[in-house]
Amino acid sequence: MFKIYEYNKSRELFSRAVKVIPSGIYGHQGPAEGCYVPVEAYPLFSERAEGTYLYDADGNRYIDYMCAYGPNILGYNDPEIDEAARRQRTLGDCTTLPSARMIEFAELLCDTVNIADWAFFAKNGNDVTTLAVMTARAHTKRKKIVFFKGYYHGVSPWTQKIDYSGVIEEDVMNNLYVDWNDINALEELFLTHKGEIAAVIGQPYMHGNFADNTLPEADFWQKVRRLCDEWGTVLIIDDVRAGFRLDLAGSDHYFGFEADLICFCKALANGYNVSALCGKEFLKNTVSGISFTGSYWLSAVPFAAGIACIEKMRRLDLPKLLIEKGTRLKNGLIDTAKKYGYDLHVSGVPSLFYLRIADDPSLMLHQEWIAECVKRGVFFTSHHNHFINAALSDEDIKLTVDIADEAFSVIKNRHS
Amino acid sequence: MIEKNALAYVNAFALLGTIPALCREVDEARELIKNEKISLGFKVKGGPCMTLVFKDGECTLVRGTDGCDILLAFSSAEKFNGMIDGTVTPIPRRGLLKVGFLLKRFMPLTDILTRYLRASDEDLANREFFEISTRLMFSVISNALVELANNDSVSRFSASNMVDGTVRLAILDECEARIGIKDHTLSLEDPDSAYSAYMVFPDIDVARALFDGKINAVAAVGLGKVRIGGMICNIDNLNRVLDRVSVYLQ
Repeated sequence: MFKIYEYNKSRELFSRAVKVIPSGIYGHQGPAEGCYVPVEAYPLFSERAEGTYLYDADGNRYIDYMCAYGPNILGYNDPEIDEAARRQRTLGDCTTLPSARMIEFAELLCDTVNIADWAFFAKNGNDVTTLAVMTARAHTKRKKIVFFKGYYHGVSPWTQKIDYSGVIEEDVMNNLYVDWNDINALEELFLTHKGEIAAVIGQPYMHGNFADNTLPEADFWQKVRRLCDEWGTVLIIDDVRAGFRLDLAGSDHYFGFEADLICFCKALANGYNVSALCGKEFLKNTVSGISFTGSYWLSAVPFAAGIACIEKMRRLDLPKLLIEKGTRLKNGLIDTAKKYGYDLHVSGVPSLFYLRIADDPSLMLHQEWIAECVKRGVFFTSHHNHFINAALSDEDIKLTVDIADEAFSVIKNRHS
Repeated sequence: MIEKNALAYVNAFALLGTIPALCREVDEARELIKNEKISLGFKVKGGPCMTLVFKDGECTLVRGTDGCDILLAFSSAEKFNGMIDGTVTPIPRRGLLKVGFLLKRFMPLTDILTRYLRASDEDLANREFFEISTRLMFSVISNALVELANNDSVSRFSASNMVDGTVRLAILDECEARIGIKDHTLSLEDPDSAYSAYMVFPDIDVARALFDGKINAVAAVGLGKVRIGGMICNIDNLNRVLDRVSVYLQ
């Protein structure tokens, strides 16, 4: 029997937080957007993190499969990355002139990412998806952008939807929507909006929430590429979430096609705050003409961390390693679920797997199982894909499966 | 921001649609209709069409106006909305001789409804009034969610992102509603029917504070004061419609 965690300190902190911070914890790490069901099963604040482990404010330890929603790819506080950042910090970080680390980082990305002839740096994924769309519009002199339904490309008004609070019709009036994997519908859109579509933007595969993640059908991306070429439309891959967990050369490379622009963030510097837009030569002058910058975008410490991170990922052949770890975990979880008669679906690429107990389409049973895992020290979420990091050991995977086993037994007893 | 036709549906099925609940909950309202046997229809060109049937001391709502005793017909949603906000006086197309019911029964009923839905602080200090008022608000909101999801263009977008299923809305031990979703069209279902997602307010005071905008729903989820679960994408999208409800009912 595993110890059941208590969260008294987390609750105290949340009570303080709601007094001075809108909704206590806003966004994806908050209990509402994070789908903490029931909320009492989840910690709300962390104290520290190390390797694959997250420690909450009450001192409970978790094998963390959210990895800060992606940035933790080598392990929290990876000594090599932290040392590179520390060395740069002694030299300078946010200064009047950029450091040469910026050039070295761009050179390394151009050498690593298949389509990259240049790199432009910012802070968040949203910064570079926004720059990508602006670039496409500036290059094509067109307005409309095609999205695949179920997408997430950030939080700027253009990425949101007409029914979102604070978004007005004009923000999204040039957004066109098409179902994932529906090449005929996309072709139809191009015909309906002849000469109007600036860009098609998509994640490399559909990792939407509350549903099994869906890989591209055979030749789907190649057909999208052909349509974009035919109509003079820019193809943008938002690799913010999947980047470097499928292929260090970019997820377009993994699926055998070439994007015109590719967006990275999350895993780019193992948690140091930097994002990058990489692109093909023909768009470089267009990007040069766009007014786009920020107070901290040229800071040198995240560049140094990013360089160390990419070098280490290359050395480890990291995507292969993460996919192997994810596959071992996937198989262990599925086998354990079967013992209790549950049909656990594990979808997506194993390095960023999505979980769903398919026996109950309402997801309530799944939410119960996830909650029982969290209370015993495995941090899963019930609505979102998960992330594997390099520090996850075979022992951690075994412990995860053991905890999952006990969690299955709890829900089985509860419902039998 | 407000679409006239969608507002007409809210006025018809959410506001007037709460009169049956008013007649069940409030003695004064029940007293007004206790000896009545009459039906009052509302027909809006290109918009809602409904009848309130008063019989045996109860009021029920039926869709359509076939056979109603008094028919109020409106040439536009704007005129119907005008009747609701008091700027248009309707003339019955049918049942002119029964106009006394309109003046002596129906108008006082709507006055009572207004008092409960736009309650004063003084009235709300009375616990019984507070509880009835909150249950009636719950009824208005539940009905308005359905009408907007089916008729307001922004809310239709929210509905387009919902999956088939049933959402349970409830104030625990007070009132329940089930909102069914089928092919992105919403409807009210039997309050006992099975559900695939839920948003439950554990007590009536929390529900009221949320309705009045005094506490934040996202923070309330974090504090455990609002319970959500199941197919949360439907709750998420229903909450976006709820934002529109507050625009229409302001």
